Amino acid sequence: MTQIELRGVQKYFGAVQVIKDLNLKINDNEFIVLLGQSGCGKTTTLRAIAGLETIDGGDILIDGKPVQHLKAADRDIAMVFQSFSLYPHMSVYENIAFPLRATRKSKAEIDSEVRSVAKTLQISDLLAKKPSALSGGDMQRVAIGRALVRRPKAMLMDEPIGALDAKLREEMRAEIKRLHIKQGSTSIYVTHDQIEAMSLADRIVIMHEGVLQQVGSPDEVYSHPANLFVAQFVGSPVMNVADTSVTEKASSASVTVGDAAAGFEFPRALLSKLNGHAGSQLALGIRPEGVLVRREAAEGFLPVETQIVEPLGSFDIVDLKVGSKMLRARTKSGFIGGPGERVFVRIDPSQAHFFDTASGKSLGVRL
Amino acid sequence: MAAVRTSSEIGFNRVAIVAVLLVTIIFLAPIYWIASTAFKPRNLATTIPPTVVFQPEISPFVKLFTKRSQLRNPASPEEYAAAPWWERVVFDGGEKIVRDGKGQVQWSGYPSRFMNSLIVAITSTVLAVGMGTFTAYGFSRFRVKGEADLLFFILSTRMLPPVVVAIPMFLMYRAVGLNDSHLGLIILYTAFNLSFSVWLMKGFMDEIPKEYEEAALVDGYTRMEAFFKIVLPEAATGIAATAVFCFITAWNEYAFALIMTSRRAQTAPPFIPSQIGSGLPDWTVIAAGTFLFLLPVAIFTFLLRNHLLRGMSFGAIRK
Repeated sequence: MTQIELRGVQKYFGAVQVIKDLNLKINDNEFIVLLGQSGCGKTTTLRAIAGLETIDGGDILIDGKPVQHLKAADRDIAMVFQSFSLYPHMSVYENIAFPLRATRKSKAEIDSEVRSVAKTLQISDLLAKKPSALSGGDMQRVAIGRALVRRPKAMLMDEPIGALDAKLREEMRAEIKRLHIKQGSTSIYVTHDQIEAMSLADRIVIMHEGVLQQVGSPDEVYSHPANLFVAQFVGSPVMNVADTSVTEKASSASVTVGDAAAGFEFPRALLSKLNGHAGSQLALGIRPEGVLVRREAAEGFLPVETQIVEPLGSFDIVDLKVGSKMLRARTKSGFIGGPGERVFVRIDPSQAHFFDTASGKSLGVRL
Repeated sequence: MAAVRTSSEIGFNRVAIVAVLLVTIIFLAPIYWIASTAFKPRNLATTIPPTVVFQPEISPFVKLFTKRSQLRNPASPEEYAAAPWWERVVFDGGEKIVRDGKGQVQWSGYPSRFMNSLIVAITSTVLAVGMGTFTAYGFSRFRVKGEADLLFFILSTRMLPPVVVAIPMFLMYRAVGLNDSHLGLIILYTAFNLSFSVWLMKGFMDEIPKEYEEAALVDGYTRMEAFFKIVLPEAATGIAATAVFCFITAWNEYAFALIMTSRRAQTAPPFIPSQIGSGLPDWTVIAAGTFLFLLPVAIFTFLLRNHLLRGMSFGAIRK
């Protein structure tokens, strides 16, 4: 049972505040992913939890006890580094045994634990090798083995698969998930890759410029982004965001993107839900799959011209010119022949998000 | 690179090989000269042109280690027959080995000078490299106030030719009774090598990724343990390279050893040339002393050669 809690954590590097009043509670056995661009403070947060960085304010609690004044060695936490950080002068066996040697366990105990971890990670045949003789994936397995062997209270991972090539990354992602399900230790994982975050996390913590933006399950942050940053950071291809004005029509609301001549038809209920924000400082956010495209004219569909078509195999991404803005739509592959075609487009109101452009916050409108 | 080498490339390679051979010969010639003279009979040591083919002798080494006196008359046949082989070679040269009242062979000054050299060079190397490693680790890993100034200050101790301060140093040493003592020379050579050691080791320390220690810290070790278990083995290459340089400097140092020591703590470098002046110079003995003096550095460097090859190219290899 391990809970980790951050209470009002502050961290400065010189005059720059890299963590701003961070509050977060991580539950037992939970897999948390800290997601954000480089320099957002996610790695610093992880290192602060590990005890490799001091904090300038707030508390870090492990199982309810403040640990910010404890040394890394006394926090009983394991960490996997992006660079793997396997000790080059030690064999794989010695690398995995190293944390156990710090605990003054007997030789026989250490041996059995090293071998059992190696078996779990399927690296038993590598134990005699030196790290320099291993492939990237195997190095990572050894690094994870070294972290697991001590059965720490929590496992911290700093972009552990960031240095691997794309195919291996996918394999290791699945392996980390499998391992977490099997071992079930509280884990904090740092990445800038939102696909990694979505596929691994129980909950994703999105950070930007040292400030926590949103905490939620992958589905929550994808479907209900709290603000424009989260909306555009999570999801690939990126969500369309455009300044928008909403006007009242006879039986519906009309949502006009930028300077487009005509507006998209939305249910009238939108007006009341926008609660006075309809006039200005409003942005519409719509994921490419929420932009519906037809070849024939139909009720509620606006005529637009296709610009660029990006075939991505299982689907295409099509740029559509709406006024002076581009709206990216996701279509079946081959649905649009090429640029310059006239098609008809509509926005699925149930997938639309509305943001206050001044604060960037979501207005929480759901239709 | 082209798979097929052109004739001009082959030609260039041949010229390069000849050039390398020539330079090698020029560099090795003095060493060959010393080594061959160390095994020559005395009468062949100074012939012009030099004698290249000769029956090698061990007598220069016997003479090097023993105290000798000139024989007025050749040794009697009984005396000659009773003497061990190493004494006979001295008789052959018209000299005899000095013995005390109990018949014990009297050693020359060389063995004790050689031992002094070993004691002073090894101790000062261990101290300079040890302190340099710790200092470099500190500078490399922690935010030290005025780091750049301190490092410059450390380096600045090398900017003056050391012999410039030899006389004041001698007076200071005499005042505190450190002249002609092992400790005095050890302190001097340690201080002299320390700046070099700090700078060289800092380069090596900077090359060792911090993550190794951080991994050890979260694995449950203190920083000191992490230093000894992780950093030190990783720095072995750098330590070896630095140790070789420090050892060579301390081993070969002449000027201070000449001024600061006279008997008790005198090292080999000032002793060997001092033998030229005593009587008619026996160049074979001096060559034997020099030849033996070259060996420790050669052996030390040979033992550490694997580390050195990596150490010399530090910065080029990323781990």
